[in-house]
Amino acid sequence: MTDAFNMLLGGFAHVLGGGAVWHALWAVLIGIVIGALPGLTATMGVALLTTLTFGMGPNVAMLVLVCVYVGAIYGGSRSAILLNIPGTPASAASTLDGFPLARQGLAGRAMGISTSGSWLGTLFGTLILALFAPSFGEFALKFGSYEMFWVAMFGIIIAGSLSGGDPLKGYIAGFIGLFVATIGQETNHAYARFAYGNGDLAGGLGLLPVLVGVFGVAEVLSAMRGPAVRAVSSKIDSVIPRIRDITQYWRTILRSGALGTFIGAMPGLGEDIAAWTSYAAAKRASAEREKFGKGSIEGLMAAETGESACVPGAIIPVLTLAVPGSAPAAVLMAAMMIHGLNPGPMLAITSPEFIYQIVAMLVIADMVKLFYGLVLVKPLLWILLIPRARLMPVVFVLCTVGAFAITSRLFDIWVMLGAGLVGFVLRELRFPMAPLVLGIVLGDLLDKNLLRGLVLSGGDLTPFFTRPISMGLCALTLLAAAWSIPGVAGLFRRRRATA
Amino acid sequence: MTAPANEVEVDSPFDGEKAPASPRADLVTAAVLFALGVAIIAQAWQMPRFVEQSGTGLTAPGIVPGFYGAMIALLAGLLGLRAVRRGGWTVRAARRPANGDGRQLLTAAVLGVVYAGVLVGRVPFWMASALFVFAFTTAFEWVQGPERRARRIVEAVLIGLGTGLAVTLVFEKLFLLRLP
Repeated sequence: MTDAFNMLLGGFAHVLGGGAVWHALWAVLIGIVIGALPGLTATMGVALLTTLTFGMGPNVAMLVLVCVYVGAIYGGSRSAILLNIPGTPASAASTLDGFPLARQGLAGRAMGISTSGSWLGTLFGTLILALFAPSFGEFALKFGSYEMFWVAMFGIIIAGSLSGGDPLKGYIAGFIGLFVATIGQETNHAYARFAYGNGDLAGGLGLLPVLVGVFGVAEVLSAMRGPAVRAVSSKIDSVIPRIRDITQYWRTILRSGALGTFIGAMPGLGEDIAAWTSYAAAKRASAEREKFGKGSIEGLMAAETGESACVPGAIIPVLTLAVPGSAPAAVLMAAMMIHGLNPGPMLAITSPEFIYQIVAMLVIADMVKLFYGLVLVKPLLWILLIPRARLMPVVFVLCTVGAFAITSRLFDIWVMLGAGLVGFVLRELRFPMAPLVLGIVLGDLLDKNLLRGLVLSGGDLTPFFTRPISMGLCALTLLAAAWSIPGVAGLFRRRRATA
Repeated sequence: MTAPANEVEVDSPFDGEKAPASPRADLVTAAVLFALGVAIIAQAWQMPRFVEQSGTGLTAPGIVPGFYGAMIALLAGLLGLRAVRRGGWTVRAARRPANGDGRQLLTAAVLGVVYAGVLVGRVPFWMASALFVFAFTTAFEWVQGPERRARRIVEAVLIGLGTGLAVTLVFEKLFLLRLP
């Protein structure tokens, strides 16, 4: 316990050196602006800013990206409240009560609730990360190839089942992502799969160009297709959070914080599911259920707390298993790898202090977010009024730079374009994007561990099912898959009702 | 504050998002994905097995993509069957009239491909970006009518030049990154 506390203090001391506050100030601001602008998501923001961090040291780079992530998830609520359009998918639940509050002339109060809920949510999730990630990391050391195979498979299945409404399309998106990850040289024999003699393809499709395409280019196309929107009001009442709003709904805050963190820690689910689940749970438990959807303070508080608690939650599996809990966390994980930090079970041995440095970064980002929540209202309103015809081409230019910068190959720009067009079409056909991203990120992990496991067992499949942890993970995966079969979940509910 | 003609206040952001794809669209998608899955299996089957090196052939490069191909084909088959059960084979998808949305999408896609696929790498990056931002902004603001059009075009030129120069300055000079 003393060791952990010392490492936490060490983490703060380490992170706070070298102009950290300055970096946190600009990075959270960029995150909030990206999150607030409809069409720009947290995933895109982290991917684009990864480009900017190439020349930075690993710690500063991680601080910047964590700040962008935290800022973007919070920033989405601004447009949710003022435009009725979630700035990021995570803020979708906030529109239900945030926008009605703004229509009642309470936009400032709604933003105050959003600020306090989001601040407390991230703080709660960070506390859980600090308490449990180190011990979970030590437990993850018991995971071998067989277990890591199931962790990756569980991620794909759970993301497919829960992230998009149609599990079948979720699974297909996940397997397409896994297939994309196989393109290029594999590790055992250096054989270039699906390269057709092309040197660029033999090098594989870069994760960042694909993500920038799927989340950047596809979103620019989606944004330009629909009608433009306008803010409901340019007059804002006081945004100072009221203590009474917090004390009155402390149970909701705790429940949403716990739910958000837990959902964040599940591979691939992400902030939008966390917000919706927290909102639904708050509505079920609320004494003023009839107010939900009509401007409920409790509903907005629940959604904001849940989505923001999800951010630290989503980083827990990144640090302990090298499996991202959400799409932005997937990009964050890719950035960690680019910067030579190797997240995963070995982190608990090689650099246990890094977990506490991440904790320090989250706390700093959360504090800066609170500061901006109180002072940055009018300027954000002006930014929201920028016409998309002027904003989106600039975003597209940044996407192009982001795709090119990592390896300086024009090929990566083509990959970005291709991924953007395919991503757009899949989105139009209602395929969820989270499993696709998770598939691309987890592809290498799954590929290596399946083959390594088969080699270790001499071709015997039984260790995949008989080792204790493997067996548990396999059962969880099958349960998650079975749950999505029409009728199975209903069968369970009916049995429980008759029992 | 009155909204310009091409701006609307949206009541629910999910009206369009939540509408499921039509059974006919799902059926066509399933056919394409099934073909993709089968093609992946065929390609994976043709990959070398390296039996002489591994002894067992268990490290064959085609095993994992073959498995993914099989899963894509299987799941696409299920998607197709579901689409048929929902009437995808018999019910014709209602042909949507050509509308502004489609034109806007096509304009954005064509401009994006011309910029990233043709201009970038052939002309200086700042110039390519300035041209793209100018063309994009002008194309989408043209529909707002002749009133104040000249002013909007001048603004588009300034935004384009500003973007091209600012991006070059920030990325190349400040963050020392190579630009295409």
